[in-house]
Amino acid sequence: MMKGTTKALITGMAAASLLLVGCAGQIDNTRGKATVYEDASTTGRVGGVGIESQDIVAITDQMMRDMLANRMLAGRDIPPRIIIDNEYMRNESSSVVNTNMLTDRLRIELNRASNGRMIFVGREYAGMVQQERDLKRDGAVDGGTIRSTAAQAGADYRLAGRITSLDASDRSDGTQSRYSQISFEMVDMELGTIVWSGLYEMRKAGRDDVVYR
Amino acid sequence: MFRNLFAVAAAGLIVAGCNTLPADSTDIAERTAPLEYNTVVFTDYNLSRTWDDGIRDAGRVYRLSVENHGQRPTETGTTEVFAVLRNHTDFDYQIEVRTQFFDDYGVPVDARPTWQRSTIPANSVSAYKTLSTTTQPLKYRIEVREIN
Repeated sequence: MMKGTTKALITGMAAASLLLVGCAGQIDNTRGKATVYEDASTTGRVGGVGIESQDIVAITDQMMRDMLANRMLAGRDIPPRIIIDNEYMRNESSSVVNTNMLTDRLRIELNRASNGRMIFVGREYAGMVQQERDLKRDGAVDGGTIRSTAAQAGADYRLAGRITSLDASDRSDGTQSRYSQISFEMVDMELGTIVWSGLYEMRKAGRDDVVYR
Repeated sequence: MFRNLFAVAAAGLIVAGCNTLPADSTDIAERTAPLEYNTVVFTDYNLSRTWDDGIRDAGRVYRLSVENHGQRPTETGTTEVFAVLRNHTDFDYQIEVRTQFFDDYGVPVDARPTWQRSTIPANSVSAYKTLSTTTQPLKYRIEVREIN
């Protein structure tokens, strides 16, 4: 008799607990473990008024997409030859930023995304290329397997740009504000006309105790 | 006696129906909604959330809403998507928006999506636009969240 009661009790409790488990939500809405890695495209734990990783990613992404929608750059039957490097990208702002980060990311992302709609000339590597060409012409090495050309590739367009800024600060509480403007222009290397322009602007404010290097 | 009990129960039901779910609730419908294409979603449930309270129609609380969205081809064959977002509050809202592109099979394609920052003025609208990098037909999913 006692055994039967206990069994019924246990069965009842098990059924009740199953029901309770069944009623509980399936989503465990808790934060994951802290990590030293951060998403480069979002504001990190350390942030100031300068140009940061999320800005570089956003700027280059926006310019890349805009260039690929431009008929003169990405809609030609014969893909144009383009130089995108740091040579004519000037930083006139008060932000400490290596402008190679902008031009390198822009060129690499464009080269991957354009998939042959644009041809990129590595003018930065012209000396390296010329050295190899000289060795081939002198007979020190053979001609390679691809082809030989009369000269290195000339460019149709070259990217130029400028970073400028306007700073303001509130001396009563130390708050700093910086308006940054990043301009990009694609210049026709024969005529000197500007065939495409892009502008990115932002203003950030905060108590600037972040040091950029 | 029974009449009083019924009135109290009815009042309780009405009060329960008026309750709103907090943004961190696990009962928000968007958390488990199936993935849809050619749509705009608020991944920050503080901005907009819906739920089924089991009593009346689904509840909804929102600060921002989507007025319009769509896509069109550019002159080079890439895709331009846009969304018009409306701010229903008396405060400017700073948001981040990104677009994920998918092909006909639902496979993510195009360059990695990047958050774009934007401000929607109080009680006003703001348009978000972005472009794809490929020329193939695409489906889109625009995600909106508030800047941290």
